[in-house]
Amino acid sequence: MTLPEFFGCTFIAFGPPFALFVFTIANDPLRIIILIAAAFFWLLSLLLSSLLWFAMIPLRDVLAFGVFFSVVFQECFRYIIYRILRSTEQGLQAVAEDTRVTDNKHILSYVSGLGFGIISGMFALVNVLADMSGPGTMGLQSGTELFFVTSAAQALSIILLHTFWSVIFFNACDTNNYLHIAYVVGSHLFVSLLTLLNASELYTATLLTNYIITILTGLLAFRVAGGTSRSFKKFVTCQ
Amino acid sequence: MEKRVHAAAIWLLMLLHGAAFAQGERTRDKMYQPIVGAGCFRRLNGTHQTGCSSTHAGSVGVLHLINVEADLEFLLASPPSPPYAPMIPPHLFTRRNLLRLIEAGPSNISVVLLINKPEKMKQFSHELNCPNQYSSLNNSETCDASNPATSWNPWGTGLLHEDFPFPIYYIADTEEISKLEKCFLKFNNFNYETHALRSLCAIEVKSFMSAAVSSEVCIRRTRFINNLSGSKYCDPLEGRNVYATVYPRNVSSVEAEETELAITSEKFILVTCRLDTASMFDGVGLGAMDSLVGLSILTQVAHLLRELLPPQSSLPDNRRNVLFVTFNGESYDYIGSQRFVYDVERFAFPKSSARRNLITFDNIEFMLDIGTLDDIANIKLHALSGTPLAQKLLQQLNNYAQSPRYGFNLNIQSEMSYHIPPTSAQSFLRRDPKFPALILNAKPANKYYHSIYDDADNVVFNYGNTSQDFTLLPDVGDTKNFKADSLQMKVRNVSSIVAMALYETLTGKEYTGSKVANPVLADEFFYCFLLSADCPLFKAASYPGSPKGLPMPPMRYVSVLGGPQESSGWTYRVLGYLLSQKQPKIPKDNCTILPLHYFAGFNGVGECRLTTQNYSSALSPAFLIDDYDWRSGNYSTWTESTWSLFSARIFLRPSNVHQVTTLSVGIVVLIVSFCVVYIISSRSEVLFEDLPASNAALFG
Repeated sequence: MTLPEFFGCTFIAFGPPFALFVFTIANDPLRIIILIAAAFFWLLSLLLSSLLWFAMIPLRDVLAFGVFFSVVFQECFRYIIYRILRSTEQGLQAVAEDTRVTDNKHILSYVSGLGFGIISGMFALVNVLADMSGPGTMGLQSGTELFFVTSAAQALSIILLHTFWSVIFFNACDTNNYLHIAYVVGSHLFVSLLTLLNASELYTATLLTNYIITILTGLLAFRVAGGTSRSFKKFVTCQ
Repeated sequence: MEKRVHAAAIWLLMLLHGAAFAQGERTRDKMYQPIVGAGCFRRLNGTHQTGCSSTHAGSVGVLHLINVEADLEFLLASPPSPPYAPMIPPHLFTRRNLLRLIEAGPSNISVVLLINKPEKMKQFSHELNCPNQYSSLNNSETCDASNPATSWNPWGTGLLHEDFPFPIYYIADTEEISKLEKCFLKFNNFNYETHALRSLCAIEVKSFMSAAVSSEVCIRRTRFINNLSGSKYCDPLEGRNVYATVYPRNVSSVEAEETELAITSEKFILVTCRLDTASMFDGVGLGAMDSLVGLSILTQVAHLLRELLPPQSSLPDNRRNVLFVTFNGESYDYIGSQRFVYDVERFAFPKSSARRNLITFDNIEFMLDIGTLDDIANIKLHALSGTPLAQKLLQQLNNYAQSPRYGFNLNIQSEMSYHIPPTSAQSFLRRDPKFPALILNAKPANKYYHSIYDDADNVVFNYGNTSQDFTLLPDVGDTKNFKADSLQMKVRNVSSIVAMALYETLTGKEYTGSKVANPVLADEFFYCFLLSADCPLFKAASYPGSPKGLPMPPMRYVSVLGGPQESSGWTYRVLGYLLSQKQPKIPKDNCTILPLHYFAGFNGVGECRLTTQNYSSALSPAFLIDDYDWRSGNYSTWTESTWSLFSARIFLRPSNVHQVTTLSVGIVVLIVSFCVVYIISSRSEVLFEDLPASNAALFG
């Protein structure tokens, strides 16, 4: 990958998360801490999945197996971070300068979801970026030129999805809405397994489905966080 | 409901399909394919740099196959998507074409690939018309580059002494060539106008050379006091000469280290030849015709004399001896012979650790130098002037060459003039034009002089693989089933003639025996040096049970200090073995201190032998003299640049359009997301209306 390609892909994948970080996270130290903590928990889940992959020698080549358990671990850690955040709510309230964090529980879920997403997107893309130093692009033996752009778009959708999932998941845990929890785990599994199709270069199919799910999940998260079609109309018409 | 089940089934199938084909694979392996080949590298002399270097990060060029000369025009007349990397077959790798590529500049031509398709090749020599012109006798008659009839390498293009602004990479393996061709055909070889708009198959060659300008500059930079990292920019070309005598010399006593005491009245006939060869590419180039034929003849002569001559005490003059020397680094301004002359002049040969009496120029009776013998029907005996010595040797040589008893049927002519071939004798004649140097050299007929194609095919070598004892001398009628015009028989004939003439010179009697040199020895010798070092001759000349040679020919480039030095090592062993006397009475355990050495021998059972061979240094005196004037041209100043790696790989180079599109999409996404997020966060209280009042400014 060449330098312009590198920057193009980086901007596509990390431009929107960076904007979110700048406008909604960066001005509150507590949110930064929670973001980093969430990222750390995602890393722990990665560690566990890789240990499992490493131990299961005969199944190392079967990516679907690794993907399935990785999703399971990620969702477990999402639950763990939910428990931790809820149990430390009191403490947070004491140290928070800005009480909005504790007053609106969706903020906590949004911040931790973004932390989950950013680190997961990074790991998805950095692996690709690391192999790309040099003057070439994809397509000599297989693959297309669009591989890098596709990877970047994929990473972006995963980052956004994690944010939405956390909002839905935390709320569902609060309200014992098992349907939502099932939706989060199910769509996560589905999206992850969908990426396996990229090996056969069905980029349009996977990306399109991916983004449809992202939009649907986004809408659900919007509803959960208190948005309605009426408020959206008001927002668009600048009332 | 049924539709849903169908849809789910289809998704499941696709997922299973994906799971079956998705395998962990490095992205890099899908993007790049390494190409194995040999690189051209940079050498420097006192005033210039020659050879090639890539840019520091590696040179990248779009592949373009050149089949006919007209294909080059496309690259030279403002190509659509420069820079390009032409793949040139050897018959188009000419001086004219290369100079045009240089002229096109590095922005158009960044890499040149030489592909091994020799079908149409008629000649391929990139040495100068006058090899080693500036270290030979300074006389227009010696060699005139403008006149092909009298030059010593009429087919030479001189490209070996050009400085290229791009790397040149030689790809020998047909599989690698087909990889390149496939890639070129698939991605590049259509619709040339749209080259700028699509991804093209390109090659990256990394061969960055750290030295620049000249030996003077790079040696100064290496020695510079501020060079704290201790990095080396260049190394002098350096090797080892191998010498041996036909009769063992007395070990000098330790006290006799004073030069006056050590000088003796020994008389030596010097028989010399060249050990090394040269080519444009690293590690390729066997020098079969340009130097190996000479080396094989020297070896045969040595062996034959060892077998034929009576003991030294029974010679008419028992102070006489024959000294065989093979000079290393001769391709680069006679490094080995210049050093030999320098050492002998300064009473430093042999070096004191050899514990033999010194040899001075007074000890040398005459020198017989074996040059290039491309065509044995046209051998001439060269000398500066027609001395009685030259006449006598010529008459002796022809006596045996034309004798009906042996049936060699050769006629050796003579040329007594300044038209002297570029051989080691030049270094001796340069010091003293009266030095009695005689040179055996044939009319130049080697169209592949100093090139990668001077190989077994060039000398028409077919391995006989007779498995017979090569150390025994056969009768003249016993040709061991080799054809009369085979390389083995040619070498047998010439070396027999030379050895018989030397026999007559030493003993004063005509040789009347019927034993001649063994063509099997020539057969084994060429097999070892041209095809595989894992061979019977090298095995016989090694210690019993020592590790086998590599199944490839030894490298014969002089190289630098710490280089492989394979060729001098094997020559040392082979000369040692063939020029030694068997000592059947000495057991293996007592046969450990030189000059006694234990060899495996032909049968591999092991035998103790009294040897005479040794090494001497072949490092140019220019690097020994303090404040040497690099421009003086007195001594060879060749150095070789250091480099960290040679590598080449092919890949798809993205078009500019693709790069710019990706970058612009990225920037647009970034800007749009900043705007959207800012608007949402500034008006979040409207969007999320169900929130408690205190949370209205959610994203503050």
